[in-house]
Amino acid sequence: MSSSDTAVLELQHVFKEYPGSPPVPVLRDIELVVRRGEYVGIVGPSGSGKSTMLNLVGALDVPTSGKVIIDGFDIQEMNDAEVSALRGQRIGFVFQTFNLIDGLTALENVCVGMAYAGTPRSQRLERAARALDRVGLSHRSTHRPSELSGGERQRVAIARAIVSEPALLLADEPTGNLDSVTGESILETFSSLNNEGVTVVLITHDATLAASLPRKVTLRDGIIVGDTAHG
Amino acid sequence: MDETSEMRSKLSLRDVFAVGSVGLRTRKLRTGLTALGIAIGIAALVAVMGISASSKADLLAKLDALGTNRLAVEPGTSFSPGSTPTLSADAVPMIRRIGAVQFVSGITTASATVRRTNFVSSAETGGISVQATDSYFALTTGAKLSQGRFFSASEEVLPEIVLGSFAATTLGVTDLSIHPLVFVSGNWFTVIGIFKPIALFPNLDSAAFIGNSVAQSLFNANVEPSSVFVVADPKQVDAVKNVLAATANPESPGETQVSRPSDAIAAKKSTSDALTALLVGLGAVALLVGGIGIANVMVISVLERRTEIGVRRALGATKRHIRLQFVVEAVLLSTLGGAMGLVLGAGVTTGYSALRNISFALPISVLLIGFGAAIVVGALAGISPASRAAKLAPADAIRPA
Repeated sequence: MSSSDTAVLELQHVFKEYPGSPPVPVLRDIELVVRRGEYVGIVGPSGSGKSTMLNLVGALDVPTSGKVIIDGFDIQEMNDAEVSALRGQRIGFVFQTFNLIDGLTALENVCVGMAYAGTPRSQRLERAARALDRVGLSHRSTHRPSELSGGERQRVAIARAIVSEPALLLADEPTGNLDSVTGESILETFSSLNNEGVTVVLITHDATLAASLPRKVTLRDGIIVGDTAHG
Repeated sequence: MDETSEMRSKLSLRDVFAVGSVGLRTRKLRTGLTALGIAIGIAALVAVMGISASSKADLLAKLDALGTNRLAVEPGTSFSPGSTPTLSADAVPMIRRIGAVQFVSGITTASATVRRTNFVSSAETGGISVQATDSYFALTTGAKLSQGRFFSASEEVLPEIVLGSFAATTLGVTDLSIHPLVFVSGNWFTVIGIFKPIALFPNLDSAAFIGNSVAQSLFNANVEPSSVFVVADPKQVDAVKNVLAATANPESPGETQVSRPSDAIAAKKSTSDALTALLVGLGAVALLVGGIGIANVMVISVLERRTEIGVRRALGATKRHIRLQFVVEAVLLSTLGGAMGLVLGAGVTTGYSALRNISFALPISVLLIGFGAAIVVGALAGISPASRAAKLAPADAIRPA
C-alpha cells in the first residue's frame, strides 16, 4: 500500500472488535482511502458499524488490528498528547446533537479548540469571527446555545469544526436532529465548504442523503459492501 | 505542514482558569452553596484562631502593664512535720540589699479583725484579714486604688486603713468622702483608700491594710512577714528570683516558695488553649465536610458533563487538560469558599474583640493558613473526580449513554 500525498484518510485492513466472550466483531477488513477535496458519505443501517467507523476515522478510538492513517499520521503510534493535538488541529467534528458548551457564547464555543492548540487569544477571536461569518452566523456571535435555534446551533458547531482549517471534516448524522428544510441548508453549507476545498466525510443512515453525495461508501455488518468511487 | 513534534496540545495559564471556571459560572446557585460549606469551615478556623490570638495579645498587653518583673516570696511547705516554715523577720531589709531589686515590701498578718461597727459580733470577720505593711505595698504589688490613696511612710503610725475591693464590698464601704470608720479589734480606723481588684494577687482583695507601726503598737503582730513582694530589674528577673529564697529564709531556703504571679496567669490562660484546640478541631471537621461536599459536587459535575468532556477531547484536549480543568474547578470552588470564610472569620473576630473590649489581633499567618487550607481541601477533593473525567474514553463520552 502506498500512502498517496493526497490521501487525507487511509484505513488499511482495519478490524475492530469489542471485548466480551466471545468478542463482538464490529468492523472487518476495512480498506478505505479518502483523498483531499473529496466529499464522502458513509451510509449503513444501525448496527452496521458506522459509529465505530466514526470513532476510528476521528482518532477517538484505535483499531484492534490494521492501520488508521490520518493526514499522514498513524494514530496507533501516537501518545495521548499527540493524538489529542491531531484531533484538535487536523480533524473537525460535527455531531448530531450539536454538543455546544452551555455556558459559552457562540463565539467562545468556536474558540474552545484553539485554546488547546495554544493559539494566541487575539488570533482566536479573529479566526472564530471569520468562521462564524463563513457559516452565516456573525450576527449571533454573542448568543448562548440556549438562545439559538437547532439550525443555528449546528452552524456554530460547523464553525467550531472548520475554524482550525482541518484536513478532514467529520460529520455524524448532522441533520438527524433538524427539520428537513434546516437539514437542507446545513447540507448546502457542507457542499459549499467542500467547494472551497474542505475534505468532508459524512456518516448517515439516510440512503437518499448519501446518494446525493459525490461518493457513497455503504457499510453492512461491518463490511464495505459498496463504494461508488470504484464504480 | 506541521511536524509531529509541533503537534502538542498546550493550554495557557489564563486559559486553564477560563476553562476551569465555565462550569462554576453556569451553575451559580450550586457553586454558592458548595462554597458556603467550605466558607463555614474556614470561618470557624479563622475565627477560633483569631479570637485566640486576640485574647493572647490582650493578655500579653495586660501582663506587660501589670509587670512581668514582679515576684512574690512566701513560706513554702515544711520538710519537718509539725513545724510551720516562716520567712526571716528581716527578710524585707535583706532583700532590699540585692542590687537588682528595685522595690520591696512585705505583709504581716495582724491578729485582728475588722468590722463595720462595734455592734457587729467579733466572730463575723467576713473572711477579711488584717495585714500590716509599709508604704511600698501598692507599688510592689501593682495594686491600683479605685478611691482615695494609700498611706505614706509617715502615716504608718496612724489608725488609717486601706481596703481590698472585696473587703470594701463586704464591709459596705463605698464612699470615702464621708471619711468612714471601721472597727479593728477595739480601735476605730479611718478608711483612706479602696483598691481595685489586684490582678496579680487576687487573694489580697479580701484583706485590709494598715501600717506596720500602728499594727505593732496596737496588735502584737508577728514579726515574720507572711509574704514579700519584690519588683526586680526587668533584665535580671531570673537572677533575682534565684537568690530570693536564700535571702528571705537563710536557714532553710528550700522551705520558701518564690513565684512570678504573671506566670501563673499566663499558665491559667494556656489551659483554655485546650478549648481552643477543640474548637479548631470542630472547624477542621466542618472543613472536611465542606471538602466532601466539593468532591460530591465534582462527581456529579463530571457525570453531567460527559458530553462536554468528549467534545473537548475531540477538539484537542488531552487527558491532562481534562484533569486540570476539573481540579482547577474544585480549587476555584474552595478558594471562593475560603475567601468567604476569611471575611466571615475576620468579621467574627472583630465582633468578638469589640464585644469583649479586648485588642484585635488577626495575624497574617492565620489568614494564610485559612486560605491555604481551603486550596488544599479543594485540590484533594477534586483529584479523584478529575481523574475519572480524564479516564473517560472520548468515543464513549461524546455519545450520550
